[in-house]
Amino acid sequence: MKTSEQAVTRTPAPAIRIDKVSRHFHDAQGEFVEALRSTSLDIAEGDFVAIVGPSGCGKSTLLNMLGGFDHPSSGRITLDGQLISGPDIDRGMVFQDYALFPWLSVLDNVMFGLRHTQSREDARAIARQWLDLVGLADFERKSPRQLSGGMKQRVAIARTFATNPRVILMDEPFGALDALTRRFLQQQLLKIWREHRKTVVFITHSVQEAVYLATRVVILTARPGQVKLDERVDLEHPRQINDPKFRDLETRIFDALDEELAKTFKLEASDGYAD
Amino acid sequence: MARSHPVVGSLGPYVFAMLAILSIWQLAVVALAPPPSILPSPTLVGQTLLEEMSSGALFVNAGISLARVSVAWVLSAVIAIPLGVFMARSRLAERLIDPVIELFRPISPLAWIPLAILWFGIGESGKVFIIFVATFFPIVLNTVSGVKRVDPVLIRAGRVLGCARQIDLFWRVIFPASLPSILVGLRISFGTGWAAIIAAELVASNSGLGYLIADGMEILRSDLVMVGMAAIGVIGVLVDAVFKVLQTRFG
Ligand SMILES: Nc1ncnc2c1ncn2[C@@H]1O[C@H](COP(=O)(O)OP(=O)(O)OP(=O)(O)O)[C@@H](O)[C@H]1O
Ligand SMILES: [Mg+2]
Repeated sequence: MKTSEQAVTRTPAPAIRIDKVSRHFHDAQGEFVEALRSTSLDIAEGDFVAIVGPSGCGKSTLLNMLGGFDHPSSGRITLDGQLISGPDIDRGMVFQDYALFPWLSVLDNVMFGLRHTQSREDARAIARQWLDLVGLADFERKSPRQLSGGMKQRVAIARTFATNPRVILMDEPFGALDALTRRFLQQQLLKIWREHRKTVVFITHSVQEAVYLATRVVILTARPGQVKLDERVDLEHPRQINDPKFRDLETRIFDALDEELAKTFKLEASDGYAD
Repeated sequence: MARSHPVVGSLGPYVFAMLAILSIWQLAVVALAPPPSILPSPTLVGQTLLEEMSSGALFVNAGISLARVSVAWVLSAVIAIPLGVFMARSRLAERLIDPVIELFRPISPLAWIPLAILWFGIGESGKVFIIFVATFFPIVLNTVSGVKRVDPVLIRAGRVLGCARQIDLFWRVIFPASLPSILVGLRISFGTGWAAIIAAELVASNSGLGYLIADGMEILRSDLVMVGMAAIGVIGVLVDAVFKVLQTRFG
């Protein structure tokens, strides 16, 4: 465990390179909306990057571009030097509303991404391993409809990790869960991440969640989003939320965020006057 | 207490409806004493029903009608489901085809009888054609709405889980996700097709429940007409029940 952690910190070449990426839209009324402006960010192999920012600052837009569902208006995003052109199984995604296939059993959901490359038997074996890891081995024959939100998200996490992607993208994956379930899933995700060292990009509204999980916390500015603060979190796992260092970091991040929140409110107020 | 038993619970309303109809009917016969050719008594219809059943004629006619509807319905599904998928996936296709469908939809299957005879003669294909018309639109419309309403996040999930080609995405995500809605269309259309059986079998028929009714009318046997009507009602309910079971299984 220790050795791999050190190996990660000295990884030289960035896995993901977000290079001066801008993205703007024309909304339903034809108004010009600048979501991201010339944002740059390098993400190293094995990094767990949490992205925090005011609502509407372009976090999902950025993640969708990493997923290949959307494209920059200008600038480039590369993975291992390759331009991201569309969705691919090497960039897994965990969605806030789980996105399980309701017509498939829990096991078949986890097997879904394995069927392209594995025989049925191998796929089933891998899927079972992952279900076991998230503690849902006994639920493999159940329908997703029979599961609670937290269990659904564990299935979705198993389904994504099972395909062994290079990068895992998560857009507020625990946003819809209650505090206790959320805490449990954070611990489970952390356990899996520490074992498998995937590169993770994780969007959250919770500063505490970001500092608890990530190796790096990136704060975006109010719209148009840009990197405001980029903090390494060099705290040992398991992190204690009342550790002074944890508190310090949290405060620093909150301060940065507060400035941006103030701007967001102004932005919304001026939007209001514009109509 | 009866409510706790599923079969009794779902049959209960039908039994009640039947009893209510029978008693009003019997009252009307007693009070008005109409000639049997205008309103036969429930007992007379019951007798005719038993006769038609014991001779097997009712089952043969019902079987023939069911076979006609089934053939037309399958044919309709084979064309309407792919068409619906195509319309839902292609904006251009929808804009071209949708107005045509909307124009044809209000035209009752009955209105097609003359053309069916001209085009297909008085054989089986004309009857199948009329039921085809009656079953086609519910399948198309439900397929279109089912495919369009597939949760976009499921499509995204499919794509990040390796469905790179449209065809994989279709078979592994879009089709199963829209299947419940397609099944609703298939169920509704079997109902509309079954209801159109009279229209189809009015055309120079010598078999089927529609024929039974038309024939009963010609020879002034209202009891026979009513047996035919009852058979259509009961079979319609039974088939619908089978579809409901299938729907809970796959929906
Ligand atoms: N497809 C689109 N068309 C028009 N505007 C869009 C589109 N997608 C995003 N936007 C706009 O871009 C801005 C950034 O949106 P985005 O969803 O990335 O924000 P976010 O940071 O994820 O917000 P939240 O924290 O609320 O999820 C918003 O103002 C949004 O309205
Ligand atoms: Mg968002």
